[in-house]
Amino acid sequence: MTPDITEIFSSELPVGETLRIQRARFAPEKPDADAKRISIVSGIHGDELEGQLVIYLLAAWLRDHPEALRGTVDLYPAVNSLGVDTIIRGFPLYEIDLNRAFPGARNDFLPAQLVHALAEDVEGSDIAIDIHSSNIFLREIPQIRINKEFSEATLPLAKQLNCDFIWIHDAVTVLEATFSHTMNSRGTKTLVVEMGVGMRLTKAYGRQLLRGILNLMQQEGIIETPTEFKVRESFSSEVGDVFYINAPAAGLFVPALDHCEVIETGQWIGDIVDPLSGTVRESLYAPNGGVLFTLREYPVVYEGSLLARIFGVHDEKN
Amino acid sequence: MKKIEILKLESLSRAPMLVEGYLFEGSDPEAPSVAVVGAMEGATTLPLYSASKLVDFLRNKLGTGKILGDILVIPSVNHYALNINERFWPLDKTDINMMFPGYGLGETTQRIAHKLFEAIQGYDYGIVLETRSDLATCLPYVKLYKTGYEDIESARRLGLRIIHHREPESIETVSLQYNWQLWGSKACSVICPHQPLIDPESARVILDSLINFLNNSGIIRYETFNGYDSTVVTRERIEVVQSPHSGIFIPTKKPGMTVSKDETIGKIVHALEGEVVHRFLAPCDGMITCTYMHSLIFENAVAYRIAKIH
Ligand SMILES: [Zn+2]
Repeated sequence: MTPDITEIFSSELPVGETLRIQRARFAPEKPDADAKRISIVSGIHGDELEGQLVIYLLAAWLRDHPEALRGTVDLYPAVNSLGVDTIIRGFPLYEIDLNRAFPGARNDFLPAQLVHALAEDVEGSDIAIDIHSSNIFLREIPQIRINKEFSEATLPLAKQLNCDFIWIHDAVTVLEATFSHTMNSRGTKTLVVEMGVGMRLTKAYGRQLLRGILNLMQQEGIIETPTEFKVRESFSSEVGDVFYINAPAAGLFVPALDHCEVIETGQWIGDIVDPLSGTVRESLYAPNGGVLFTLREYPVVYEGSLLARIFGVHDEKN
Repeated sequence: MKKIEILKLESLSRAPMLVEGYLFEGSDPEAPSVAVVGAMEGATTLPLYSASKLVDFLRNKLGTGKILGDILVIPSVNHYALNINERFWPLDKTDINMMFPGYGLGETTQRIAHKLFEAIQGYDYGIVLETRSDLATCLPYVKLYKTGYEDIESARRLGLRIIHHREPESIETVSLQYNWQLWGSKACSVICPHQPLIDPESARVILDSLINFLNNSGIIRYETFNGYDSTVVTRERIEVVQSPHSGIFIPTKKPGMTVSKDETIGKIVHALEGEVVHRFLAPCDGMITCTYMHSLIFENAVAYRIAKIH
């Protein structure tokens, strides 16, 4: 089956080009009245490409299994299409982080118009998934980030998605400006996936999330197929703490560990070195045991740069 | 005057960034105090220039014995961006003005914000010199958030033509002005035009407004010329003019100019064929407060904002 491709936003660019944001819709010819709609969004940040692979895999699966489809699947692979094509995280020229510009408005500046168009188009979906790949600085294991405010509705869905970790965040006012906050407040259960690293594809993660999305769609009746999509049980931040390791000094960060390792308290995480003098400026050790779910990918650091995050279970002694 | 270290940050390859404040101690312990924060971003230099000219004025022009209350001026907190014409923090492109009140154990720009915020606590008044976050240049005006703690009377002492008094957007709750007000200083922002080269006229207006503020607040004693009796403008009063076409944008009216309804204020020229594809007419009587700042414009981009005359 081939999808219907629609432009959800377009704007003439100054010199002989049109900016387009496109959506591919997969839907059965006669959907059931109670069939659900799911929207998969990626590329809100132009330097994050992992979501594009997931959407490709999903679109290819839907093409191969037209008989399975019961509901509507809307795919938005490149929301910040100008950014994706330019390796720019924000909206080019305006330097605006689109995920800090929601809900947007029709009479505001261009990035706000674009996010407004996306929110309007996704509105009415039962479920939305917004796929991010951290950024160019950090590598993340497949994880779901959900806001506490909406976790009652979204946590059960998150568990279907075959991710390794579910991170429940406390409400922060700036999150109101995100896609997920906007859509959740409008009644679409929205999940944010973070996985991999900016500007790259991690093929295994793409396949892992595909399985999760297919499982979720099966559970929600959007697809009907005899295949069983076995998913892993994710651990969740409800049962433990997240420990941040920020650089205590500037330098070149050389990790000593692989991403996604289970580590122990006091384990060596890496060094911050000074190539000019050939010295180690700081050695970093884990403040707590657990899973190293975030690891710095881009080596240049300033004081404060995030090096790693560890998820650890509550210590019995405390 | 004494220089105080606000923060020092090392880098892998660049020389360390030393951020300093210029502290002018007042002679009258009863007089109010003020802190002025200049450039938190690069790629525009009026906040930097205005703050540095204020240092020059206080140090070299004012004359002895005329400073009554304490004045702290921090001309730049982002030398690294200014020196390479980046707008935001050069490594991770984060905006320092979105990191307040800051966090001493957080990411780099949160740490910078934290140290800056600590240094400016306890001042009666706070002035942030900043530029608009969108792609627009403007006349110098005051931006004052409605927080419940804002003080319109002190904002009037700047004597700028317009005070834009509005609710903060959700992301603006992490800005310096917002948090400074919450922590007990009467803070406002002077919005500086976004210009690649210093326009002496705007620079003069901004410096005069700072001097007016100091004098009118009893922080310095200086005989000067009066500024404007500011007009307080709310969002409802701002008319937005969008561009119906893309192309080359040529404004013929500048921010600060008053216009009449249907008066031509600019045009769009087809970028490849050169013909005029649109003429902008003022939708109302009013004053242009800002215009789009590049010569290439997208369809539907905001070309002008006009404060309506009632
Ligand atoms: Zn992202």
